[in-house]
Amino acid sequence: MLEQAFDALKTYDWGVDRNVLNPIDEAVVKTRDDPAARKDIESRLLAVLQSNAPRDAKDYVCRQLRTIGTAASVSVLEQLLADADLSHMARYALERIPEPQAGQALERQLRKLTGNLKVGVISSIGTRGQAPAGLLRPLLKDPDDAIARAAAVALGRIGSVDANKALASAPPRPALVTVFADASMSCAEKLLAAGHAKEAKATYERLLKNGPSELVRQAAERGLKAC
Amino acid sequence: MEEKRLRRFPSRTSRREFIKAAGLVSAAVALPTFIPASALGRGAAVAPSERIRLGGIGLGNQGGSDFGGFLGSADVQYVAVCDVRKNVRDSKKAQVDEHYKSKDCAAYNDFRELLAREDIDAVHVATPDHWHALIVTEACRYGKDVFCQKPETLTLREGPLMVEYGRRYGRVVSGGSQRVLEDYRGTVDMCWGGKLGQVLSINVQTSNLSHACNLPPEPVPEGFDWEMWLGPAPWAPYNAKRCDGNFSTVENSWRSYWDYSGGEITDWGAHHFGGATFAVDVRELQPQEVIYYAPEGSQRAHLEFVYPNGMRITHWKPGKANMEVDSNEHETRAPKPVPGYKGKGGIIGDFLYCVRTREKPFRDIELAVNTMCLCHLGTIAYRLQRSLKWDAAKQTFPGDTEASRFIDRARRQPWQL
Repeated sequence: MLEQAFDALKTYDWGVDRNVLNPIDEAVVKTRDDPAARKDIESRLLAVLQSNAPRDAKDYVCRQLRTIGTAASVSVLEQLLADADLSHMARYALERIPEPQAGQALERQLRKLTGNLKVGVISSIGTRGQAPAGLLRPLLKDPDDAIARAAAVALGRIGSVDANKALASAPPRPALVTVFADASMSCAEKLLAAGHAKEAKATYERLLKNGPSELVRQAAERGLKAC
Repeated sequence: MEEKRLRRFPSRTSRREFIKAAGLVSAAVALPTFIPASALGRGAAVAPSERIRLGGIGLGNQGGSDFGGFLGSADVQYVAVCDVRKNVRDSKKAQVDEHYKSKDCAAYNDFRELLAREDIDAVHVATPDHWHALIVTEACRYGKDVFCQKPETLTLREGPLMVEYGRRYGRVVSGGSQRVLEDYRGTVDMCWGGKLGQVLSINVQTSNLSHACNLPPEPVPEGFDWEMWLGPAPWAPYNAKRCDGNFSTVENSWRSYWDYSGGEITDWGAHHFGGATFAVDVRELQPQEVIYYAPEGSQRAHLEFVYPNGMRITHWKPGKANMEVDSNEHETRAPKPVPGYKGKGGIIGDFLYCVRTREKPFRDIELAVNTMCLCHLGTIAYRLQRSLKWDAAKQTFPGDTEASRFIDRARRQPWQL
């Protein structure tokens, strides 16, 4: 059954009966305690990803690698980050693979990609929350508002002392003032929770004084009271 | 999209300005609590300038029902509609204009344009589930109060972010299950009234999980912004059954499919688990463990959620009916008052009342998120076919990297949460 399912996967496309892939779904779950069997499934899935199988087949593979992908999957997935059709599904897997190699792949591609694909990679880096703030800091000055915005949000999700500093020292950007302020408050909340009350307080004081709107200033006032 | 500053408050404080200002006061700071009913508009007609200016996002099916409820409220001035289907938004705009005998209602394809309007106080959201967290957090960032239909979240990670944004900006954010109070009141009264003695557990039944969708491509209908409908979800070709908003969770509706919904365990789970957590009074908690049972020869696996205070909620426990309570009647309990809606007009009236008074609504977003946590933990346990430990404070599965992969899903660019 599993063999037939992998054969079907080679030509799997929208409109095909989804049930033909059920044996793979089941094998993914059932091999939890059998590393060798899982490794075999991962290898076979990666082979499909490197073939000329239809987009839907590769979409399916990325969904499975989200569950069982390891460092062994990273290089193949990384190559897809530049593919407009598959970049998101590559991140769908990479974002949730816990091994550090997955994060490193995203960081490498961050330096190469542009436009929407870069925005996506920034988003995944922010969600993983492990990247150094220095990686995203220069992007706050990127001429593309979408990239600067994504970088600010990602720094807010990372929420480290350095992420907070990066946001505080970013040059004013009229189109994104409330996004930057919001990201700073995300940082402040995380810092406060992590015991960095001094840094959180400084952030709130800055936003209370210079926040771009009443809404932000009052949010900062609320945060300040929590410090 | 160009960002706009939010309205500033002129020296003369009108009703709407009070709503805004009150929302900006710290949750830790007591708000003025007494506002005369006449000033709140109850018992008398409300002048248009004093009404809550409202927009609706996602207006088919359930959204259409919510739309009717809000439009019919004397407290509301409905000013803008948003839907990615032109025929839907045109139809809703026409209904609003007919209601007010004007042509003032604005119609948007992109929710960000609606949220950027400084003159809108609140929005109601009834898009498919994969959009909820993005729209709710963005609405809070723009200073809007939000009524979000259930299931409020699609993933575990979304919930705390929605709470965080609501609290950060002092917003009133209500979830949208009317059934929690209205359908299960009898069970709640028995539990809270002490008649059942010491409540030990309650059982919930919801059916299938959502599944993959592989429907064939069809031409996108004219006036249907398919890219915007998909938004953060994985790209897929248009098919009318993929995006149909009917209430089926079995097939041929977005509620059936993994990318947009958790299926019945979230769609009805938002109601049933909401009622169950209310009845046994654990709405403010999240479970610490989910025990997965798949007995030999049994047709159906079942679950037991264990709370830090010892309370248990079961799912499909054999021999138990939906909302059936187990208790020790010999352990008597004193009755305690049962919370309910504030104001008049059901859950919509509750939300509008809270927009005025800045109180927390009955299904405050934090309580909704706690309910949705059950739904998602249950989904993950069923999919992995095993038990799970959950650290509610850290929002993690301790030491469980496999389950942790299911806490969230990458969003399609450029959407970011």
